[in-house]
Amino acid sequence: MNDIVRKVREQGQAAFARLGLPTTRLETWKYTDVKRAMAPFLERLGEAPTEPETLDAATIKSLSIADLDAYRLILVDGQMVAEASDLPDGMRAESLAALLTEHPEQGIKPMGMEEDAPLFNGFVALNAAYAQDGIGICIGDKIKLNKPLYILHISTGTVAHICHGIHVGEQAEATVIEHYVGLDDVIGFTNVVSQVRLMQAGHLRHIRLQQESGRQTHIGRVSVRQHRDSQFYSHSIALGSALSRVDIITSLAEVGASCDLNGLYLTTGRQHTDHHTVIDHKAPHCTSREMYRGVMDGRSRAVFNGRVVVGEGAIKTDSAQTNANLLLSATAEVDTKPELEIYNDDVKCAHGATIGQLDANQLFYLKSRGLSEEEARQLLTFAFADEVLVSIDIPAVRRHIEHAAFSKLPLGVDISEVLA
Amino acid sequence: MLKIENLHASVDDKKILKGIDLEIGAGEVHAIMGPNGSGKSTLSNIIAGRDGYEITQGSITFKGQDLLTMPPEERAWEGVFLAFQYPVEIPGVNNTYLLKAGVNAKRKHHGQEELDAMDFMQIVKEKAKLVELDPSFLSRGVNEGFSGGEKKRNEIFQMAVLEPELALLDETDSGLDIDALRIVAHGVNKLRSAERSIIMITHYQRLLDYIQPDVVHVLADGRILKTGGKELALELEERGYDWVREEAAA
Repeated sequence: MNDIVRKVREQGQAAFARLGLPTTRLETWKYTDVKRAMAPFLERLGEAPTEPETLDAATIKSLSIADLDAYRLILVDGQMVAEASDLPDGMRAESLAALLTEHPEQGIKPMGMEEDAPLFNGFVALNAAYAQDGIGICIGDKIKLNKPLYILHISTGTVAHICHGIHVGEQAEATVIEHYVGLDDVIGFTNVVSQVRLMQAGHLRHIRLQQESGRQTHIGRVSVRQHRDSQFYSHSIALGSALSRVDIITSLAEVGASCDLNGLYLTTGRQHTDHHTVIDHKAPHCTSREMYRGVMDGRSRAVFNGRVVVGEGAIKTDSAQTNANLLLSATAEVDTKPELEIYNDDVKCAHGATIGQLDANQLFYLKSRGLSEEEARQLLTFAFADEVLVSIDIPAVRRHIEHAAFSKLPLGVDISEVLA
Repeated sequence: MLKIENLHASVDDKKILKGIDLEIGAGEVHAIMGPNGSGKSTLSNIIAGRDGYEITQGSITFKGQDLLTMPPEERAWEGVFLAFQYPVEIPGVNNTYLLKAGVNAKRKHHGQEELDAMDFMQIVKEKAKLVELDPSFLSRGVNEGFSGGEKKRNEIFQMAVLEPELALLDETDSGLDIDALRIVAHGVNKLRSAERSIIMITHYQRLLDYIQPDVVHVLADGRILKTGGKELALELEERGYDWVREEAAA
């Protein structure tokens, strides 16, 4: 192992030895107790990856987004098994494992060992210590990708630490889709860190779709640094896993940068899902928008925490954040907390969180047109959730998410065509 | 078609309807006029099946069946339609597909085959012309971003597609300018037929210039105080409602 790689590994191990797995004593993990979900993996956290299982084409196809025209990369249990072909000039997407061997100084870049970064925790340390693979993506200056880059990760029930690096050059434009799935009923642990850097006027649409099997534990972190006039659009969709937690942290580091964070979580049974986001306004004239929505049924539980920090020098900041939740059962639960911290006067900020039931007037309107109570309820639920998906401008992706989300409820597939 | 007998209803223990008797035959158009707060909208909401009203006495039968025990969707399947005074916006729910779901639910209830998408689109385009509804509205969310007048036109368009046997038009004229009123009235007139009864609820005589009723009722203080022909509407326009009250009290 190369010296600089070894150093990062040792730092990661040391940090993990000190921090351990987060506990509910930490304010940022107060509502998400990982103890039970992590119990099966405690002895296996640092085990060396074995040769990934060979999956047949039909299995891979059934787990992928259908009819998506994209550059495809496939990982199984944290290791790249199929690389993208026909990538355009000026862009690269390669295995992190290969980079760590051949160009270690580049390879370690996405490995997040900045312990003072917001929401840094034991999982990030674990990732630095043990991530074997991931995708290093580099979109050269002024390159505009003509189709999305699609990274499919399939878990067969192992422990996988994955690290992606996404570099978007000056005035470059790209869409990257990270799609997490698993074989039926497997029990595995996925721990992903995606480190994103947007150079001046770079533009990234980042779609993170978590659809792992219902017994999986999924931990994710998307950490973004935005330079002047860059634009970051994030969509985080959490549908699968027994327990999932995704942290999205973006730093608007230079003038004119903007971000738009969208999220949808839909939980049933005993699922638990948690999103923590941090938008750090460091520079003047930056804009941030955030809309997260959740639908909880059964005995499931969701957590949303959206923190917006507006620094002293970040004058003319324009920030708006909403989080709306629908509880479909009396035993479902949500804990939502928008947090605004503003350190200057020259800003425009709005935020709000709601928890509610369906609107009685809308229900009556639909029933008066002949829809049954059950159909009307589900239709309004889907319409509520779908508003977060409208901004996903790739029809195949939006359809896939709608289908996956709505089929979690009884009438989902039948009435999804009623959506506008 | 519709028979209401001695209907009493209250909201939060407040008596709103105090003994309504009303009978409407097939193909008839009745206007119900009356001052604000007289119970006009309550009556149409109760017929359509909205929650929140307590029926303390009386009955409503529709085509010989007890309407009050049916949920709103079943009333719709049986042919009751309410054009809302304030149509709700439902972002995200497609206008056309909502109607398709409604039409097919009704067909299913009557043991008919569901319409396929092509046939349905044909019907929808035809009916949209009736109220000069811009076809781009068809693919939008239900009433989403529609102006007041567009919402009312959309209600009549829905009526045209759903082909009810009893249509309740709750203040369909309110919020319409004269051109929109003419278009809406034209649509309603086209939908008049021997099998379709219509109840128009309105404050003003204006609407009745365009849609001529067979019968006019005056509803005030929760009761029907007077019933007459279309000339009654003109008299109300001229003299207000007080004389009807006085006459009823006498």
